[in-house]
Amino acid sequence: MREEIRHIQALMEGAAYITDPAISTAVHLATTLRKPLLVEGHAGVGKTEIAKVLARVRATNLIRLQCYEGLDASTALYEWNYPKQILRIRLEEQDGRPVSAKEADIFSEAFLLKRPLLQAITQTERAPVLLIDEIDRADVEFESFLLEVLSDFQVTVPEIGTITAAHRPDVVLTSNRSRDLSDALRRRCLYLWIDYPSFEKEVRILRTKVPGLNERLAGQIARVMHNLRRRQLQKVPGVAESLDWGAALVGLHADHLDAELVRETLGCILKEVDDVKRIEADLAAGRLSELLEG
Amino acid sequence: MTIAAAPRPRDLLTGTVRFCRLLRARGLAITPSESHDAVRALEVVDLGDRAEVHRALRTVLATRPEEFPVFDATFDAFWGGLVAAAAPPSEGQAPPDAPQVNAHFPKATDAALEFSGWTDVAEGEGEPVGLPGVSDLESTMGKDFSSFGAADLAEVERLAAQIARRLATRRSRRLKPSRRRGRVDLRRTVRLSLTRGDLIDLARRTRKILKTKLVIFCDVSGSMDLYSRLLLQFLYAMQNHLGRMETFVFSTRLHRVTDELRHASYRGALARLGDVRDWSGGTKIGESLRAFNLGWPKLLDRDTVVIVLSDGWDTGEPAVLAEALRTMRRRAGKLIWLNPLLGSPDYQPLTQGMQAALPHVDAFLPAHNLDSFRALARYLKP
Repeated sequence: MREEIRHIQALMEGAAYITDPAISTAVHLATTLRKPLLVEGHAGVGKTEIAKVLARVRATNLIRLQCYEGLDASTALYEWNYPKQILRIRLEEQDGRPVSAKEADIFSEAFLLKRPLLQAITQTERAPVLLIDEIDRADVEFESFLLEVLSDFQVTVPEIGTITAAHRPDVVLTSNRSRDLSDALRRRCLYLWIDYPSFEKEVRILRTKVPGLNERLAGQIARVMHNLRRRQLQKVPGVAESLDWGAALVGLHADHLDAELVRETLGCILKEVDDVKRIEADLAAGRLSELLEG
Repeated sequence: MTIAAAPRPRDLLTGTVRFCRLLRARGLAITPSESHDAVRALEVVDLGDRAEVHRALRTVLATRPEEFPVFDATFDAFWGGLVAAAAPPSEGQAPPDAPQVNAHFPKATDAALEFSGWTDVAEGEGEPVGLPGVSDLESTMGKDFSSFGAADLAEVERLAAQIARRLATRRSRRLKPSRRRGRVDLRRTVRLSLTRGDLIDLARRTRKILKTKLVIFCDVSGSMDLYSRLLLQFLYAMQNHLGRMETFVFSTRLHRVTDELRHASYRGALARLGDVRDWSGGTKIGESLRAFNLGWPKLLDRDTVVIVLSDGWDTGEPAVLAEALRTMRRRAGKLIWLNPLLGSPDYQPLTQGMQAALPHVDAFLPAHNLDSFRALARYLKP
C-alpha cells in the first residue's frame, strides 16, 4: 500500500472515522488528481462524514451545500443584498448622480451575498472542502449548472465579471441514489461506493464512536444489524442507527442483548411500523437467536 | 496480494489505454479524460499492490455500482487475474431464499380479438343501473383485471381522469416570473426600481407548472389478452384527458395509435383500432421499441415519462430489448415498466425479456388492478 494512502487512513482514523482501503484510496486520488469525488451508498453509511473528516484532516474549512428540489443558482451561488441596495438607492435619491454610477455602486462586491459555491471559490487562505450533499435531490437543471462550475471553478456574475478560484476546492458530492445522476456528471467525478460495513468494521465503528460500549455488546449489535440488513425490510438500518442503538443501550447500562431489551429499544433501529411489527413478532416467538446468528 | 512482476512504467500507458478500450467494448462509456486520469492515478498508487491498483482504477473508471461486476471481471482478465474469485459477493444482493418460480400466466388465445365484443357497456343507455357503493368500490380496486366485468369500466375511466388531472396540474418547485401572483421577486424589483427611483412595481414570481409528457407502449400480444382490454380502456381514457400523451401498441410490430384513441367514444376508438393489424400475435418487444427509437426520436426528452405495459414475454433477442431500453432511458426522464403478472404473489420476473429489461427501468410495478394504477400516479414525475 502506498505510503500516502496509509497516511490518509491514519489521519482519518485519528479523526475518529473508521475507514477501509477503498475509502482512503478514493480520498487519496481525489486530492492528488484534483477531481471531485462522488460518494454513493445507502443512507447512514457515513458519506457526508467523509467530507467533514477530509476538512479536519487538511485543517481547512468545510463549505456545505445541501441540495433540495428547486435549488437554484441564487441559493447556491450568489444573491444581491436587496435591503442594503434599496437603502442605498433611497439615501442617494436626491444627489443627482447618473443612474449608471449608482448602478455600478450597488452592484459591487460589497452588496454581494456569497452562497456556498461562490464562497468555495473565493477562499483566499487555502483550498476549502466543498461538500455538495445529496445532489440526487436537486433537479436536472441544477446538475447541469453544477457541471459548469465544477469543470472550471469560475463563476460569472454579469454585473461584476468572472471570478476564478484562487484555490481549487476539494469537492465531495454525495448521493442516495434517489434519482440517477447524469453520465456527464458521473464521468467528471471519481466514484466511491460505500456499502454497509463488514461485521468487523461495524464493531470498530461502534467501539470508537460509543464510549462505554463493551466488546461483547458491540459484537452483538453489529451481528443483529448485519442480520437485519439481509431481511427485506422497508427501511434498512444504517450505521447511524447502530450508533444510536449503541448509545441507547449504554444509557440503559446494558451489557448484553435480551429479547426484552431489544423490543424496548427497537425504535432506535427500525423506522417503519411494518418492520417493527415483523421483528417484534419474531422476538415474541423467541427468535432473537436468529438475529444473533453469524 | 502482490502481482508477480509489476508492469514496467513504459508499458503502463499503453496497457492502461488498452484496458480502457476493453472496458469500452464491454459497455462502460470511458471518456478519453478518464483514461488519462487512470494513467495519472497509477502514478500515485503502489503498483506492487494489486488490490490497490484495482481500487484506484475502479474509483476512476467506474461510475456506478452496477458497473463493478463488469469492471472486476475485465480487470481480472486483463491484468492476468489469479484472484478472480477472491472478490467477495456483495452482501444483501441475492435474497437468501428466493421463492420457487410458479407464475400464473393467463391463458393465451390465438384468435384475433373481436373489438366489438369489448364494449359491453352500451353507450347512450343512461347511467349504469347499480352504482358501486363504497364497499363495492373497494373490492373493485383490488380486483385483478383478468376478472373484470363490463361494470368496472366506469371506474377505470374515473381513475384515468383523476391521474390525468394530477399530471396536468403538478407544480414545479422552480419559479418563473409572473405578472400578478406569487412571491415578490426582489432581484427583478430592484432592477426595475433603478430607473424609477422607488419600489413601485413589485416584480413577482410563481411556481412553474410542470409539463409531464407521457409515451406509453401497450403490449397487445396473445399472452396479454386478458389484460390488454382493460389497459386499452385505461389508455383511451387517459388519452382523452391528457393532451401530451402518445400511445403505441405492439405485438410483432409497433403501431402508433394516438390518433385512433382520440375519438369521442370508446366504441368509435375501438372501431378505428380494428384497422391496426396483428393483434394478439407473438411478441417482439425489443424490435418494436427499437422501431420507436428510430422512427420517433423527438418524442422523448427529460420531461417525458415512458411507460411500457407488458408481461415481458419476448420472442426476440433479449439484447435488442436491452439496447432499445438503454437508449430510451438515456433520452427520457423516466422509464417505468408495468407488468400485470407482478400482481401475482409468486411471480418472479425471470423471463429472458424481463431479465434484459430490469436493469434499465426506473420502476417495475404491477398493473393488474386499479389499485396498482392509483399507485402509479406517484411515479409519474420525470
